Amino acid sequence: MKTALLAFALSFCVFCASSCQSPPVPQEVEKVKSQENDLWRAGAPLYAADDYSSYLESLRLAREKLIKQNARLRWFRDYKEIRADYIVLLAQGDSLLARVQSEKRSQSRDFSQRLGRLEDSMGKIRALTQLMNEHAPVRESLARAEVVTREVQILLKNEKYTELAPKLDMVDRHIRQAEEALFSILARYADDTQVADWRKQAEDTIAESRRRGTTAVLVNKLARTLTLLKKGREVAVYEIGLGKYGLSDKLYAGDEATPEGRYRIVKKNSQSRYYKALLIDYPNDSDKRRFALAKKRGLLSPGAAIGGLIEIHGGGKDSLTNGCVGVENSVMDRLFPEVAVGTVVTIIGSLESAAKLLSDLRNPGS
Amino acid sequence: MKKFSQFLVLGIFVVGLFSSCAKQPTQAIDAAKAAIEAATKEGASVYAADELKKLNDDLQAAMDEVNTQGKKFFKKFGTAKEMLVKVQTDADALKATIPAKIEAAKNAALQAQTEARTALDEATALLDKAPMGKGTKADIMAMKADLAGLETSFAEIQTAIDGADYFGASAKAATIKEKATVVSDQVKAAIEKVTGKR
Repeated sequence: MKTALLAFALSFCVFCASSCQSPPVPQEVEKVKSQENDLWRAGAPLYAADDYSSYLESLRLAREKLIKQNARLRWFRDYKEIRADYIVLLAQGDSLLARVQSEKRSQSRDFSQRLGRLEDSMGKIRALTQLMNEHAPVRESLARAEVVTREVQILLKNEKYTELAPKLDMVDRHIRQAEEALFSILARYADDTQVADWRKQAEDTIAESRRRGTTAVLVNKLARTLTLLKKGREVAVYEIGLGKYGLSDKLYAGDEATPEGRYRIVKKNSQSRYYKALLIDYPNDSDKRRFALAKKRGLLSPGAAIGGLIEIHGGGKDSLTNGCVGVENSVMDRLFPEVAVGTVVTIIGSLESAAKLLSDLRNPGS
Repeated sequence: MKKFSQFLVLGIFVVGLFSSCAKQPTQAIDAAKAAIEAATKEGASVYAADELKKLNDDLQAAMDEVNTQGKKFFKKFGTAKEMLVKVQTDADALKATIPAKIEAAKNAALQAQTEARTALDEATALLDKAPMGKGTKADIMAMKADLAGLETSFAEIQTAIDGADYFGASAKAATIKEKATVVSDQVKAAIEKVTGKR
């Protein structure tokens, strides 16, 4: 009897052990594992570091509870609380993922806008260099900026936003270098006193042409125009080209600058190397005084000469002169018969201040 | 009574044997962690970030198993130990692949640098033989300035390579090559403008 009772108890235990299965681990556990990977891949440690740390802490606590539950004898395991914790964790993760994606979109937008502004500046500077025939060191700095800009575009495409800020700073630095170089050239053109003086010279030339009923030529270096005046009226405006340092005022031979002031045509050459040419009387008295003063102050080498042979000639406006004013041959055909030896040629820097131009460069998009 | 005492002692001995002799695999844990650390130091976080993340996840799973068993009355660390050994093996294997990945990235950077140099040299040669006369002088002066800027940027490739930033060096070199090719195309267009060839 005793043996039979023992056998029954043993059989009962074996039955229990074999038939009572432990409840399965909630599927949310695996889902959270996969979610954590997604968060890591999306860049949660970079774009929502604090929230991600908090998520990991919640995950650690949930995992500890799971471990504790798994450590129990399987008949006593209960995953209800664990499942609830993991459901909360999944919701936390989903919300975090949405925040990460939103942060990335926001960063992408911000960086794209900043890049756009910088590209806008680069475009303006590039256009100015083309207009002014001013290259080194402005274009050098621009080329460096463009290399880094391309790298930025690649990083943006690959969503590597954390590496973008220093690269954009670098683009900014190169652009500023280009701007500084440009500003040093354009500074005179933003000086109100200087611009007022040029304006007066232009007005005097127009008034004299009107008063005497004569023809005159007005060259505007910044606007790159040559205006033909008859009896004080504008009869034609042509585009011109200048030299490498055409925006500077000529001081000595070889500086490739174009002189500014009131001159007269002293010779008409219909057989010029550059199609047809109108030689002006540079240097005038004012030029000679300025040259002598610069030499006295030691600003020029002792062997420096004042130069000459400044012409308005054909050959094309897109060329680089050595200080002359270049126009298209077709323009020369129209201009040549209209002017005579003695015609006044006034060359000015600009009628308008370049201050706005410089301000636009400093504040792109404004 | 004597027999009962003997059974009791034997029982305590058996229970003690099962519950205390199965100790935590601390050696395997340390070895797995050290292997991951070594792979990271080798550069896995840069050259095999996904694989490194998986290793860390596997280590976490193994540690969970260790902790689960640690809380049980009858501890069995066999599975945990197997998991830890696998983590260590995988980490060692990953570490072994890193030098080749670094070498490949370095070679790609050097190759890109060479291609950028070739593109720059070609553009320079074209500029040197371009007819700098009326109609092209301004363009050519501008392109020379652009090329000077690219030359300065080119030096930064070597700086990146020296700093083991091979991906950065490759990206910069590819950009310089692209820009130098644009200059070459512009020079060709300027030459065609002068010679009238189309």
